[in-house]
Amino acid sequence: MRKQVYSALAAALVAGASGTAVAAEGGMPQLNPHDFAPQIVWLVITFVVLYLIMSKLAIPAISDTLEKRQGKIQSDLDAAEKASEDTRALVAAYEKRLADAREEARKLHREQAEADSAAAAARLAELGDKLNARIDEAEKRIAGQRQTVLEGIEDMAHDIAADVYGKLAGQPADAGALKAKVAAVKGGR
Amino acid sequence: MHSPMEQFEIKRLLNFHLGSLDASYTNSALWMTIAVICAFLLFVVGTQKRALVPGRIQAMAEMGYEFVAGMVRDNVGDAGKKYFPFVLTLFVFILFCNVLGLIPYSFTATSHIVVTFAMAAVVFVGVTVIGFARHGAHFLSLFVPKGVPFVLLLLLVPIEIISYFVRPFSLSIRLFANMLAGHTMLKVFGGFVVMLGIIGGWAPLAFIVVFTGLELLIAFLQAYVFAILTCLYLNDAIHLHH
Repeated sequence: MRKQVYSALAAALVAGASGTAVAAEGGMPQLNPHDFAPQIVWLVITFVVLYLIMSKLAIPAISDTLEKRQGKIQSDLDAAEKASEDTRALVAAYEKRLADAREEARKLHREQAEADSAAAAARLAELGDKLNARIDEAEKRIAGQRQTVLEGIEDMAHDIAADVYGKLAGQPADAGALKAKVAAVKGGR
Repeated sequence: MHSPMEQFEIKRLLNFHLGSLDASYTNSALWMTIAVICAFLLFVVGTQKRALVPGRIQAMAEMGYEFVAGMVRDNVGDAGKKYFPFVLTLFVFILFCNVLGLIPYSFTATSHIVVTFAMAAVVFVGVTVIGFARHGAHFLSLFVPKGVPFVLLLLLVPIEIISYFVRPFSLSIRLFANMLAGHTMLKVFGGFVVMLGIIGGWAPLAFIVVFTGLELLIAFLQAYVFAILTCLYLNDAIHLHH
């Protein structure tokens, strides 16, 4: 089997070598000047056609597509940039409004507290006034009553004195003299 | 048993003469035409939708476009923008010819020195014309390295001149030889598969599978090398940097 392989290999090498030799006899096909002209003619034709296809059709189409894609990517990037800037502005506006609202709330709170305390003070003052008025009124009444009582005491003293004088003297006292006497006693106190 | 060189045979499919010029439509011309059609399908039909989010084919076409555009931008700069369509065409043409050549029973147009040399000659002549058009006689300063003692210049200037004129040959032979060698290798090992048969043919078959992958890489790489060297030559002509 191995021998078979070797012999086949040898045969192949010989054949290959002889094949090359045969080719060498006929010369390389590449070196046959007879075939030069048609190859060059068709090389020029096909190459020029390909050049026209490339420069007139393919390159404008592809560069246009690439530019469009680049433009799209750029505009998308710009839009994203703008959107993110808008977001930043929105966030800033939101935070400003939040701060303003907080400030407003604080102010309102303070004002409310001030107003509350003012109102309380006012009510307190009003209450105090009312109380004072009532105290004044009560004092006035008390003073009036005292006057009345004092006057009553004077009348009573007058009556008692007239009574006592009547009982002691057995005759009614002179009203004018008695009145003067009572007044003198009262003034003497 | 066919010779490994038979695959490179030019066959006339339609005989066609313009006066004394033989313009016959050959198998080489057929595969160049197919390459152009494939490029048309990929770069024009495939990108027709102009979708903002590309599909597979459009993404592939855009990748190829941006690959070459980046190559021209990085190696030539803004002045190279004018030559971008040419470099892209060159890259796509060579790439499709190389890759299509890997299909069994197809023909590799770039495996012929005439074809590669014609392209290299166009690049060489074009670059030289651009150089003289932009800089006039000053373009010759390309051959004189800066900051070198005069005695050394006697040696260096001929070297620079020779290396400049070798460019079209190195450019064309590099591509042609890569294609020739790869396809010959595949054919020879394909012959081994047949010879060793069902018993021993598996080893060369496995080799062919792996080697085809490598050839695919080389097909791309050689198109890339051709295009980038064109860019570098353009850069020399435009900026006179050395």
